[in-house]
Amino acid sequence: MKGFYLLICCILVVFLSLNLKSEGAIVSDDCEACHAIYPGMMEEVALAKSKYKYLLDDSLCVDCHSSSDNATIKILGGIKVPIVHNTLPPVKQLAGGNFYYVTKDDRKGHNLGRIVSMDKKFKGFPPGYDRKADLSTIGYNPEKPLTCSGSNGCHGNRNVANPFEAIRGSHHAKDKPIDGTTTAKSYRFLKGVKGYEDDEWNQNASAKKHNEYTSDIDKLCANCHGKFYKKDFTGEQSPWFAHPTDIFLPDKGEYAKYLKYDPDVPVARQKVFSSPSEEVKPGEDKVTCLSCHVAHGSQYDSLLRWDYDNIYAHEGNKKGCLMCHTRKQD
Amino acid sequence: MSYKKTRLIYITILLFIIVCSSVNGQVKGRCKDCHTMHYSYEGEEVTYGNQKGPFPVLTKGGCIGCHGQNPSGTENIVVIGKTRIPQVLHNMENGDLAGGNFYYVADGYNPDYTKGHNVKGISLQEYPPKNVPPGFIGGVLIPGGTNPSYWPSTQQLSCAGTYGCHGNRTIENPYKSIYGAHHEKDTIIDGETVGKSYRFLFGIVGKEHEDWEYQATNSNHNGYKGSNHYDSINTISYLCGECHAKFHAHPNLGGINAVSLNGITWTGHPADVGFDFVHGGFVGSEYQGYTTYNLEAPVAFENPTGKEKIIDENSIVMCLSCHKAHASNYLHILRWDYSKISTETLGQGCLICHTKKVGK
Repeated sequence: MKGFYLLICCILVVFLSLNLKSEGAIVSDDCEACHAIYPGMMEEVALAKSKYKYLLDDSLCVDCHSSSDNATIKILGGIKVPIVHNTLPPVKQLAGGNFYYVTKDDRKGHNLGRIVSMDKKFKGFPPGYDRKADLSTIGYNPEKPLTCSGSNGCHGNRNVANPFEAIRGSHHAKDKPIDGTTTAKSYRFLKGVKGYEDDEWNQNASAKKHNEYTSDIDKLCANCHGKFYKKDFTGEQSPWFAHPTDIFLPDKGEYAKYLKYDPDVPVARQKVFSSPSEEVKPGEDKVTCLSCHVAHGSQYDSLLRWDYDNIYAHEGNKKGCLMCHTRKQD
Repeated sequence: MSYKKTRLIYITILLFIIVCSSVNGQVKGRCKDCHTMHYSYEGEEVTYGNQKGPFPVLTKGGCIGCHGQNPSGTENIVVIGKTRIPQVLHNMENGDLAGGNFYYVADGYNPDYTKGHNVKGISLQEYPPKNVPPGFIGGVLIPGGTNPSYWPSTQQLSCAGTYGCHGNRTIENPYKSIYGAHHEKDTIIDGETVGKSYRFLFGIVGKEHEDWEYQATNSNHNGYKGSNHYDSINTISYLCGECHAKFHAHPNLGGINAVSLNGITWTGHPADVGFDFVHGGFVGSEYQGYTTYNLEAPVAFENPTGKEKIIDENSIVMCLSCHKAHASNYLHILRWDYSKISTETLGQGCLICHTKKVGK
């Protein structure tokens, strides 16, 4: 009889695993793995102080997606959890980068309130912020810190001010297809953004295995950095006044030579891919904010994917800017 | 040492020289030294000198931002990383480069508009009649096409483009006209592209002195292309003539009658005319007295090398024999103070060529 129960358990585990793989939503019978690992999380709070029974707020995001070591994926209750904040230098950081770097230098990441204090230079104002470009009905409030989600953040519903409320339930909701209709059905819970999610968050990215982006991601960035997106500031092709984004990678000149996808210089696709492609198609694929930047934090100033101080033209370099600007490789 | 080994060494040395020279004019170094990605740093707009952006092609300050980085500064060649940037606007004593120095006409620095070209971003447009180029003829043939049919009275001179000197002058937008030239391989200056043209003056050929004639010598200088037969449009004087057509005898421009009486008596100082073309011939002429290349009165050659030291009948008088291109400390962008040139100023100014005008 024991064997029978064991078999049932095994089938259940396999089922859950398959379910996880196909849906992505967190399904686990080990609630406490996520909800009770940090002090206070499961403490009931007076209804007068909160509309929620438990103390659940923005800290939960950071607590769950942080690690005190350098691993960038951890397992909680059998679930793979992507780490966006290591307290040690991350090894094989994920697609969004890592908030570890902003704890060392303001210029190297977004100043997430739960991790670091407000940026001393910007004092809460996102560079290039343009309220007209911020599609949130509430808008960014520079008086308050940057949050993971909500109107002062990136993830979840940006029409909701409370960070937890903005993303509440998404981890347990049906999340396929990624059509942007709900937070759960949005790329990385960035509501409205479509894309293809690598099952390891690009931890082992290659030309053949990686996230696939769409231009939705640029529009999301533009909510807070609209000035860098608007054509009346960036100019029009030839000559540009600022580096353009959400434009087709030209299919002529030096750009036509970027043909094999490099996860260090991603492009956006016009439609959502069902699987990653190692091919770059100039004239069809687009330059995206993420072609040069990461979302959370990087080793380099301005959250760049590479050290702009050390990109040299015509000296044999082939990486960074020169992946697209191939003529400067020679 | 065997013949084969010797030959191999020579070939290696030759290849090394070719490789080294092949990247000489092409801008090298860090992207960030010349370009800013979002016209933003630390959340604020960035300005360069008096220039307010954003600037085309993501440059730090456009043409003048790079080539006129500090008008009151004392650097005529700014070195940033591996990039050496000639300054056309600076205040270095005895540091004017071959083209001169816009400092003499730059607003904010006690300008004298009679001393230079009034380029947008440096000076205001000149008042009429000098708001348009003296001697301008519309529709003349230029490399890649034709001049505009007329020069609009409110159109100010720019560095490049249709209403400028550098770049492809058939393209009006200054930045489009010169786009990509700084990154082009320019081993051979054949005028085929902007990048492969002398100083990015489209269609013009010549030999570029590596320090833009700073501390040039009479055997190491710019090599200017001239033509003695008015049969080519790739000379430096033809470029001047594209805007000042009535001062050039090329049939595409003002024609011989613009500067002479039926080609016999000069009514205007000729350009693109060789010493062997003078009336009565070179031998015995006063021009025979100009024997050694003088940086104060440079001459052009059919096939310039920049190493010419000897002046002879093959030397060609050009616009730049008397004028500078950008601005000088003298009236009409001259290389010398014309008011002080007399028959007593032997070896100076006009008398460098006109050697027999010396007082007895």
